[in-house]
Amino acid sequence: MPIVVNLDVVMARRKMSSTELAEKMDITPANLSILKTGKAKAIRFSTLEAACEALDCQPGDILEYRPDPEKP
Amino acid sequence: MWNKKRSLSLSRVCVLVFIGATLAILVAGPWLVDWLAGTRAEAQAGIPGYSTTADPADRGLFFATLYTGGAVALYLLVQLYRLLNNIAAEKVFTDSNVTLLRRISWCCFLGALVSGLSVLYYMPWGLVAVAAAFMALVVRVIKNVMAEAVVIKQENDYTI
Repeated sequence: MPIVVNLDVVMARRKMSSTELAEKMDITPANLSILKTGKAKAIRFSTLEAACEALDCQPGDILEYRPDPEKP
Repeated sequence: MWNKKRSLSLSRVCVLVFIGATLAILVAGPWLVDWLAGTRAEAQAGIPGYSTTADPADRGLFFATLYTGGAVALYLLVQLYRLLNNIAAEKVFTDSNVTLLRRISWCCFLGALVSGLSVLYYMPWGLVAVAAAFMALVVRVIKNVMAEAVVIKQENDYTI
């Protein structure tokens, strides 16, 4: 998928565990895992807001666009 | 107070009743065939060239239609019961339910085909053929809707 979620990178910088982040974002660890592993098909603005608040970062730090190499 | 759980239970009971009725019809097949073949002979009474007694070949054809159709109907009812069980287990929008609906529609088409071919020896089977084909179409459309619902649900499940 062209949109890549870099939660792992930001979490490592802030030295925050998955459990702690899930708690701060008020989502289940399972849902956080879906986000981290790139299986999510969409993210709500409220979730993105919670992530940015918990990690003290910008949406662009978490989300990255990498175009599909096969697409023109 | 009527609720969804009781409605589901009623549906399952109805399917079980239909399964029982289908099995009863299959067991009583020989008597049913004698009656059907007899009515056909009566209908042809007075028509020059036609026998007024039940032709043994007719009995064979009626048996073929009844038991082929009965087997298809039983398989269809079992799929329907499995679908209701899945719904009761709160597994509604799943790929397995789409598969079950697909099988049900193909059973209806098969029933329509068997009945349609049986028109060659007994015209009233045509009514059964038309009804079965119509049901097949309705179930097929429901299957298409369910398949889209599964996609929407999966998208929703993976929206965090």
